[in-house]
Amino acid sequence: MNRNTKTGLILATIALAFFLGFIARVWYLQR
Amino acid sequence: MSAVLDTHGHAAHDEHHGHHGPYGGIMRWITTTNHKDIGTMYLVFAGFMFFVGGVMAVLIRAELFEPGLQIIVPEFYNQLVTMHGLIMIFGAIMPAFVGFANWLIPMQIGAPDMAFARLNNFSFWLLPFAASLLIISFFVPGGAPGVGWTMYAPLTMQMGVGMDFMIFAIHLMGMSSIMGSINIITTILNMRAPGMTLMRMPMFCWTWLITAYLLVAVMPVLAGAVTMTLTDRHFGTSFFNAAGGGDPVLYQHIFWFFGHPEVYVIALPAFGVISQVIPAFSRKPLFGYASMVYATSAIAILSFMVWAHHMYTVGMPVAAQLFFMYSTTLIAIPTGVKVFNWVATMWRGSLSFETPMLFAIGFLLLFTLGGFSGLVLALAPIDIQLQDTYYVVAHFHYVMVAGAMFSAFAGIYFWLPKWTGRMYNETLGKWHFWLTMIFFNMIFFVQHFLGLAGMPRRIADYNPEFTTWNQISSIGAFGFALAQLVFLYNLISTIRSGAKAPDKPWEGADSLEWTHLPTPAPYHSFETPPVLK
Repeated sequence: MNRNTKTGLILATIALAFFLGFIARVWYLQR
Repeated sequence: MSAVLDTHGHAAHDEHHGHHGPYGGIMRWITTTNHKDIGTMYLVFAGFMFFVGGVMAVLIRAELFEPGLQIIVPEFYNQLVTMHGLIMIFGAIMPAFVGFANWLIPMQIGAPDMAFARLNNFSFWLLPFAASLLIISFFVPGGAPGVGWTMYAPLTMQMGVGMDFMIFAIHLMGMSSIMGSINIITTILNMRAPGMTLMRMPMFCWTWLITAYLLVAVMPVLAGAVTMTLTDRHFGTSFFNAAGGGDPVLYQHIFWFFGHPEVYVIALPAFGVISQVIPAFSRKPLFGYASMVYATSAIAILSFMVWAHHMYTVGMPVAAQLFFMYSTTLIAIPTGVKVFNWVATMWRGSLSFETPMLFAIGFLLLFTLGGFSGLVLALAPIDIQLQDTYYVVAHFHYVMVAGAMFSAFAGIYFWLPKWTGRMYNETLGKWHFWLTMIFFNMIFFVQHFLGLAGMPRRIADYNPEFTTWNQISSIGAFGFALAQLVFLYNLISTIRSGAKAPDKPWEGADSLEWTHLPTPAPYHSFETPPVLK
């Protein structure tokens, strides 16, 4: 895997984590 | 250095290195992976949306010319206000700066293209579909959502199918922004020419690097918020629906956790453009480069700690109000560093006042004014009086129009010769600047008075005592709109028949696109990395 792909995947993972993390946090607050 | 230049000639023997890709006509634009083509598409798209959002603004100001209801019904007025905000932010300003980023970042760091060229194409082509969803929502039953661009619950629960169009549009625009940001970060981190260290990059690249990190962090939060709104509307959840035990105030917290960094997503690239333009026309290097980088980073970090200053009147403990008040006023420090550095760059410089510089100086004056009214609003006791008045409208238009849009105009006039190979008409450019400057203040300066007198925002009607200032503001809006036609004419006539531009029309410009590339920039640049001392 080349360096650009690695950087891109790391950043995409961070974005996905923020997306799911915020929904999970609100879910937890409202449960 | 000229050994690294790409010219049209040497590429002719290989179709992949020709003037553009294998397709001609419309297919060139649909299939292109070239950062310059994609940058152009972003800029054209932003320009189109700027005019769509502008027409809405003119309609709003026409309705507000007199008290009472003359032209449009209040429901449609709310839809216009909502769509004007969304279209200007997500359709005009952000794509405009992404267009700048696509055109300039590879050239300024000495890279051949963006890191993910196909992803870049996909990022752009999501936008026309998102914009179409927004515009089509006017024609569905119930019309476009009239919830305001902030999309607060519980209003979002009560809207028609237009709200779903808007949610999907935001998903698409968010995906586009996140992919674009990943592309920008990867390009800057991995593809700089040898010798182009991070601390030697032009400020525009720095501001975009920091902006892209902000976007990766906050766009998913907005996407999460609108996804929860969607499931509340259709799938029986109650995240924000108070009737089912949800919390509408929580929505506001989540929205502004996105919304405040979003302000800097718009402002930081604008700062970057100004940081290129002012040194070029002062014929001096940027004063305090390193402090500029640190100030930009500080603004970005602080932007995550200030969100609730948008919500002082919603109800929160005094300790929280104090925290958000102090953290917000803290942002004035790095912002002040930047303004000081721009002024110090001009100090004892060999100044000249071509159109880009005029817009940059206009930016400096008016953005600072917008910053000051921001400080006023940051103070909880004052904000409680001014919340939801025209003072807020005046404040954020000083930041968004005189800040971001003036900066975009400065950048367009500055780089137009590099993009097109032709010089714009300086006289028309100056006319555009002065008309824009005068009419902008005519629209928005008086709105401070309206706000201080208590005129609420987002309402189609008003008390007759506010009539005079509203009429001045509306006349200003009509003048502002007409002034943009001067820009449009200048732009089109430059592209069609402008005088040929020299390789380096601006004496003081010193970044790679001016020093290492011919004008207009060749379709493929820096296939061999430039050698930097």
